[in-house]
Amino acid sequence: MVGPLEQAILAAMIFVIMLGMGASLTPRDFVLAFRRPYGLLIGLVSQYGFMPLIGFGLASILPVPPVVAIGILIISCMPGGTTSNMFTYFSKGNLALSLLMTVNSTLFGVLLIPLLLVLYAGALEVDIPRENVIVTLVLLLVPVAIGMGLRKMNANVGAVAEFGGSALGLFFILFLVVSWIPRNWGFLMETGWATYAASIGLGVIGMAIGYGFARALRLHPRNARTISLETGIQNGPLAIAIIAFTWPADEAQAVMAVPVLYSLFIVIVSTAVTLIFRRANLAAEQKLPDGLL
Amino acid sequence: MTTDQRPWTAFYGPAVRKDIDAPRYPTLGDMVAAVAHQYAAKTAFTCCLPNGMNGSLSFAQADEMSDALAVYLREVCGLAQGDRVALQAPNGLSYPVAAFAVLKAGCILVNVNPLYTAEEMARVFADAEPKALIVVDMFADKVREATKGHPIPNIIVTQVAEFLPAAPRGIVRLVQRHWDRSLPPVDFPHIRLPAAIAAGRRARASVAVEEYRAQLTPDDVAVLQYTGGTTGVAKAAMLTHRNLLVNMEQTMEMIEGVEPGAEVALTALPLYHIFAFTVNLMGFWWLGARNVLIPNPRPLSNLKRAFENYRITWMSGVNTLFNGLAQELWFRDTPPRHLKFASAGGMALQTAVAERWVEVTGKPVLEGYGMTETSPVLTFNPLNRVRPGSIGIPVPGTDLRCVDDEGREVALGEPGELAARGPQVMAGFWRRPEETAKVMRDGWLLTGDIGVRDADGYFRIVDRKKDMIIVSGFKVYPNEVEDCIALHPGVAEVGVIGVPDGATGEAVEAHVVLRDPALSAEELRNHCKAHLTAYKVPKRVVVRDALPRSNVGKILRKDIRAEALAGKG
Repeated sequence: MVGPLEQAILAAMIFVIMLGMGASLTPRDFVLAFRRPYGLLIGLVSQYGFMPLIGFGLASILPVPPVVAIGILIISCMPGGTTSNMFTYFSKGNLALSLLMTVNSTLFGVLLIPLLLVLYAGALEVDIPRENVIVTLVLLLVPVAIGMGLRKMNANVGAVAEFGGSALGLFFILFLVVSWIPRNWGFLMETGWATYAASIGLGVIGMAIGYGFARALRLHPRNARTISLETGIQNGPLAIAIIAFTWPADEAQAVMAVPVLYSLFIVIVSTAVTLIFRRANLAAEQKLPDGLL
Repeated sequence: MTTDQRPWTAFYGPAVRKDIDAPRYPTLGDMVAAVAHQYAAKTAFTCCLPNGMNGSLSFAQADEMSDALAVYLREVCGLAQGDRVALQAPNGLSYPVAAFAVLKAGCILVNVNPLYTAEEMARVFADAEPKALIVVDMFADKVREATKGHPIPNIIVTQVAEFLPAAPRGIVRLVQRHWDRSLPPVDFPHIRLPAAIAAGRRARASVAVEEYRAQLTPDDVAVLQYTGGTTGVAKAAMLTHRNLLVNMEQTMEMIEGVEPGAEVALTALPLYHIFAFTVNLMGFWWLGARNVLIPNPRPLSNLKRAFENYRITWMSGVNTLFNGLAQELWFRDTPPRHLKFASAGGMALQTAVAERWVEVTGKPVLEGYGMTETSPVLTFNPLNRVRPGSIGIPVPGTDLRCVDDEGREVALGEPGELAARGPQVMAGFWRRPEETAKVMRDGWLLTGDIGVRDADGYFRIVDRKKDMIIVSGFKVYPNEVEDCIALHPGVAEVGVIGVPDGATGEAVEAHVVLRDPALSAEELRNHCKAHLTAYKVPKRVVVRDALPRSNVGKILRKDIRAEALAGKG
């Protein structure tokens, strides 16, 4: 069950997270993105081309019940998560590119996510209430716009909101651990290995394909690392919010299974990948001068 | 002096005085106080962090806080006039407060590069014997070791986000402490900067700050500025109040089209560097400009928020900065709209870089020239009368000529060592009369740079005297070869040196960092052959991952040479 209190907390959290994402942006960022559609295209292809395909593949191959399959599909169709920016920072990737990919995928998500969901759900023969999904996505753009407004009004308020948003992204995991897991303990014990395999596999395969794709396009390793993390890390809180606000409470728990488990495991997967990237970076890093400039 | 000897005065703007000898204020402290009175509540300094977090001080605030800190230094620490105070901080709101306080207290400011190693710091401390040190907490780990042999009785600790509003300051500290782990423990007796200012305010009732500087004369030393300290002995140029005030006026007068009280200046260069100290810190203050301070301009994306959030009208920088910015995508796509022009100093501005900058921003880079020993500006390009590749014309009140080894002026158009005379020339090297004697000849300062003057009085730097390469008796100036190689689109950076050669005495060797990894040494040599006389074409091209640089980003040819020779030996 998702009680009204938890729904309210969930809504507040997602609001702050999206507000923080908005606060990290300026109109100039969009100008930049549209002037260089190549980078934009790579991001969209990996986010909405590869990830849903991987999700669809996992949902078809793995022996999971239809409700769990819907969860896999939803999380795989999500835009990039704000935590990807943090991991990009720690893995010494291209932070600007990461931010831009997150934002672009969120913006285009309003259009692409319902389309993709309907397409793949049709292929999987499951049902998705697409109007509700669209409404939720549009509503989510409100805090993004407010965040951008805050940044424009006062850079300090914007920067604090940005920091608060990404910090809350991590805190969200804790929220899941204390609220969802105890109540679904029975389900977690009963469910087959396939649910776990999908939850872990989506991130790992996504990162591997994202990296391979970027390298195949001869992008700089730094940008390839960024695209890899950006592709693999989805906006988990958004998936959970969409499910909580769209599905009836009794069904929502099972649909949420993979998005919740994904959100928990992606922290571990991303940390491991970040460590690998950091090591690779250390080996390849050019010696920069010590001075301030 | 007649116009005959200073033909360049014909190129001065209408508002520029032909000669400047005495400054408008007796000391820097008087200038700071007078300007603060004029602009009072206007914003003087804004510190802008990479994520856009910021804090500001008004003219009145910076003035009041530096008054209080001056009182703290004199009354609480018990410092006397002429005592040295070392300042070791990156750009931030504490830098101007601390620097102004030291000058107002009648003490001598010792600018120390925060990135110095403990060993380099120790050399400076041993030489300058400071009685107080104002240091940023990030580098506290080096302080204990550096002060072992020469204890400093008063240490004031500041932070990068000093004087920012509480929330952003708290977040910065949180990130520094727990994520970056960049805050070493401060394990020596110290006082925090805000506490020192508070203590100064309490002691202020019984003293008049103006009294400290009333005892000073314009010829008292204001700043000890270390030069060439990366190797060998640390030696400091003694720059007097008059040197610095005059040079500030000389430079600011040459810069036309600025509007007092209306400019927004970007300071990405470290303020402890003499160019930024005189032009950015003092000059922008004098102009009543808002000065946007960048604590760390690397990576260059750290400047993005500053360009977005502030209407930057003027910036100063070095070749490395302009080169880097002109290659950043975000900067190319949305160049600053309000920029009037940029000024370059500190090192030679490569023609290719200047051209790329104009192409991106549509605004010129005005190149100037100077050195630590001359506070630092000697020449500047007047706006609208810029000559590409030229360092411009001498600033008002300055004599500059090209001399041979005997100190005789060479014929017009012939290369010779630049010798300078003017009110900005230092009082000498601190406690090193023998070093002073080496560079001063009959009242002229020998710069060590080879230059050429044209009939109008525009100067061009050919090269450093000691970097000159002699190939079979022909003089080759590395700058010319570097400029040529830098024009090749596949090259990111280049340093050219001379190495011993059995056949030609010396041979030209180019060390390059490639932007295009496929570019071969042969292609580069062919590129040079198309533009240069045969003896100037590098005999060897060495491809490297990086070139050694100084703390301000200058490519260090002497280090390249040392590495090249060690590699062969």
